[in-house]
Amino acid sequence: MTEPMNTVAAAPANGEQPVLEVRDLRVNFASEAGTVRAVRGVNFDLYRGKTLGIVGESGSGKSVTSMAIMGLLDKNAHVEGSIKFRGDELLTKNDKEMSVLRGDRIAMVFQDPLSALTPVFSIGEQLKEALVIHNPKMTEEQIVSRSIELLKLVGIPNAEERLKSYPHQFSGGMRQRVVIAMAIANNPDIIICDEPTTALDVTIQAQVLEVLQRAQQETGAAVIFITHDLGVIAGIADDIIVMYAGRPVEKADVDTVFHKPVMPYTMGLLGAVPRPDREKSSRLVPIPGAPMNLVNMPKGCPFAPRCPLATDICRQGEPDLLPVEGREGQLAACHRVKEIVDQNLTFSDIYTVGESVKSKFDGIPREQRQTVLDVKHLKKTFPLTAGGFLRRKIGEVHAVDDVTLDVREGETVALVGESGSGKSTTLLEIMEFRQPESGEISVLGKPIAKRMSREDKRELHSNVQYIFQDPMSSLDPRLPIYDILAEPLKVQGLSKQEINDRIRDLMALVELNPDQVDRFPTQFSGGQRQRIAIARALAVNPKLVLLDEPVSALDVSIQAGVINLLEDLQNKLGVAYLFVAHNLSVIRHISNRIAVMYLGRIVELGSNHDVFEEPLHPYTKALLSAVPVPDPQIERTRQRIVLEGELPSPSESFSGCPFAGRCPMFSTLTKDQQARCLGESPELVAKGGAADHMAACHFA
Amino acid sequence: MIKYIIRRLVNYVIMLFVAISMTYFLASAFMDPRSNYMSRNPRPPEASIDRSLDLANINDKTPVLVRYFNWLKGIVTEWNWGLSPDQEPVAPAVASRISSSVQLVAISTVLSIIIGVSLGVYTAIRQYKWQDRALNAVSTLFLVTPAAVLGLLIVLGTIAINNATGTRIFYVTGLHSYEGGNIGLAILDFLQHIILPTIVLVCIGYVNYHLTQRTYLLDTMNADYVRTARAKGLTLNQAIRKHALRTSLIPTTTNIAFSIASIFTGAVITETVFAINGLGRYFVTTIQDNDINGAVCIAAFSGVCTLAGALLADILAAWLDPRIRLN
Repeated sequence: MTEPMNTVAAAPANGEQPVLEVRDLRVNFASEAGTVRAVRGVNFDLYRGKTLGIVGESGSGKSVTSMAIMGLLDKNAHVEGSIKFRGDELLTKNDKEMSVLRGDRIAMVFQDPLSALTPVFSIGEQLKEALVIHNPKMTEEQIVSRSIELLKLVGIPNAEERLKSYPHQFSGGMRQRVVIAMAIANNPDIIICDEPTTALDVTIQAQVLEVLQRAQQETGAAVIFITHDLGVIAGIADDIIVMYAGRPVEKADVDTVFHKPVMPYTMGLLGAVPRPDREKSSRLVPIPGAPMNLVNMPKGCPFAPRCPLATDICRQGEPDLLPVEGREGQLAACHRVKEIVDQNLTFSDIYTVGESVKSKFDGIPREQRQTVLDVKHLKKTFPLTAGGFLRRKIGEVHAVDDVTLDVREGETVALVGESGSGKSTTLLEIMEFRQPESGEISVLGKPIAKRMSREDKRELHSNVQYIFQDPMSSLDPRLPIYDILAEPLKVQGLSKQEINDRIRDLMALVELNPDQVDRFPTQFSGGQRQRIAIARALAVNPKLVLLDEPVSALDVSIQAGVINLLEDLQNKLGVAYLFVAHNLSVIRHISNRIAVMYLGRIVELGSNHDVFEEPLHPYTKALLSAVPVPDPQIERTRQRIVLEGELPSPSESFSGCPFAGRCPMFSTLTKDQQARCLGESPELVAKGGAADHMAACHFA
Repeated sequence: MIKYIIRRLVNYVIMLFVAISMTYFLASAFMDPRSNYMSRNPRPPEASIDRSLDLANINDKTPVLVRYFNWLKGIVTEWNWGLSPDQEPVAPAVASRISSSVQLVAISTVLSIIIGVSLGVYTAIRQYKWQDRALNAVSTLFLVTPAAVLGLLIVLGTIAINNATGTRIFYVTGLHSYEGGNIGLAILDFLQHIILPTIVLVCIGYVNYHLTQRTYLLDTMNADYVRTARAKGLTLNQAIRKHALRTSLIPTTTNIAFSIASIFTGAVITETVFAINGLGRYFVTTIQDNDINGAVCIAAFSGVCTLAGALLADILAAWLDPRIRLN
């Protein structure tokens, strides 16, 4: 096994002792299918003030590693190896002995802030608990003043009053700040962050990352930052460990990993992510195959079945994590490291970038294409009610407020915005196929009326289809794939022979084996299930497909394959997509036109290039600047526009611009201009160079 | 909080009124007190039957709405819940049985809840260990044993004990037999009577709380916030006691509240086995005897119990859960 000597990636020159030494950490879980070998030999040293990033896809063992350090694994976990905190072995400690260190010397920030706080205790009580458990002698005044100090440090306004609030009175971003405040309460030596921003919107993510960095400066702690998001890790980490199938496969400082990776998996991972800062130049490159099953691991390198460079030696024995010759401080676990370094192989040498299919509508300008979906002044409100027996209406939530947009043949229009911006509601309103509360929806020139003949409705259903976020819950687990695909075809009245032929075509279209139609959804992986969902949507030859976060539940290496498939199908079939996603990198890659939504309104609408390269609306600018870029150099130098505050409640009504309260431009305006922002609601009108680039801002 | 309770109370009074009125109409439609007289031998003359029924305000020849308003007037003006077909006032009959039912049921309910919830917590923390499996087996056994069988087994057992010792340690019928004025002896006498039916009721009653509380706690034990509490430095047991237990008690409070009414009228079998004149047996008798007013009166009492329980549950839940308190 790897010698400890090899593992010191970036030891400080001054000979400082590491706060944490992890050696040959192995974690097994007993499961019904057999022993799951979740972590198989992790080594690293952690130094004060440094941030170690651990990157990997789901099931790579990154979270299990962190839980093993905290001693918070389930009882059925079997942990081997050594974890030393300041020379003190942690793995032999029992729960009681570990609890002395936990929260005091080693603290943790978890992924989902909505469930991380106990709902029945106030923030003050929970903070107090974190302090008192390690400092029983603290007086009540000391506790209160320290709690206020901590909340101020993490940027929670009105700290004194907020101590009495309960978790449900805070937004997700605010709750994550509280969790961070609890983590740093006792000035820990180590802070472990397990996907701390994954559940948050980008603008809130930018705020929380800033708070984390400030917390690290205040405490001087070492940070272990675990994430699947290469953009986030590029901006925050000093050193990076890339994990695959329970083992580190590459380890180096952040620049080396991003610019000179040697392990093919690292390269594939970096190549599979769309970039938010670059115009789409080529197709994404998915890593073929699916991640390893951790129960019955074959011998050999676990990445070999998916690796384009794999040879017989790769399938014989698993490579150790060894220093890369000629590269200072870089370690990789690959049999073919020497060739890769010597020949300077890069991503494009190893993976073959596929050719994309030429679009049916290539060369036809947008104006000459048929309008598939036309939405005019769409509004959707939800009533707010109060009282017991007789529900009184006390207000309205403007979920969708005057949305106007159109989608043409063969193009992808994306709706972007933070949670609560109304993008999903807009999609749902179109899916309803009924006359909207206010405004008009037309499909292929036909407005959706209150009463429609059965015939018209069927035609509508065959023209518009949808694909949901979670392919597991959107496919009936008790129906075989054949029945799932046959259902929409039966509704259209096709004969049995036609259905059989069509299903064979569909399976081939989404690159699945047509012989597998008798299997059930659970027998497929996440990416394959999403392909089945796509096949079902395309079964009836729709003109428009509505997609609600279709790739956000998938790992990056799988996501790339599904995005490519969606692109190819659009080009082949000329189908139009209305695409909702919160991931701006995916949007940048796949869409032609982008509508940015804020509080139910479209604040900017334009082509992909215009919106990303020349954003007009201050909100769009802030949103784009908050998106992390998977490049450490760019991350270090770029200026973020961090928005103050949170999304206001949609039940508020605004006489002026709803963004004025958070607008970074607002304070630079004159008194008269400010009065206009507050008093007059801006219309979505053409601004800037292009005629189809519109923004709803008085001063853009 | 006070405003919240008052609002609830007003809601409950309305609900109760509607429910009792509905019961009255239902009972009047399905019960036929005339048949009590018709089956007598010799059959009384029709005029005399009508007179008796009129006196009790249960004559099917009077329109039901008229009977309803008479009945309602009696309750509102003089707290008179009407007469049984035998011309007995039902309210005092119910009142006297409430007292024995309360004596019988109150102790066993409190014990069931305490034992059930504690066992639920104890076994949840030791999930799949031998303690958990053993206690689950015992509870499942009680779950499937009919009350009558359990009651008879206990009666037979105690009679054997009484015979073996030669003194009457346990009484197997009634609630009281001591007639003197000594408080100490009266209490001892009461305990000698109450202990056996209490054992039966607790054995039947605790099972539900044990099994549900175990599930609720297991659900919350793996919650993210329990992990957060451990990450702060609480040991596993501290984290469960402080963070998981409280949230897992919220559904149990509702559970308790809505079982209160059925506890009073549902102890029929235990009452029968131990010859206790409680509400459960009275309820069955009123239905057998076509006693419209009696049945409605008991239904009203159960309704009050249910709503009192619901109010109690609401207050407890609001106390346990700030999300309810603040909204």
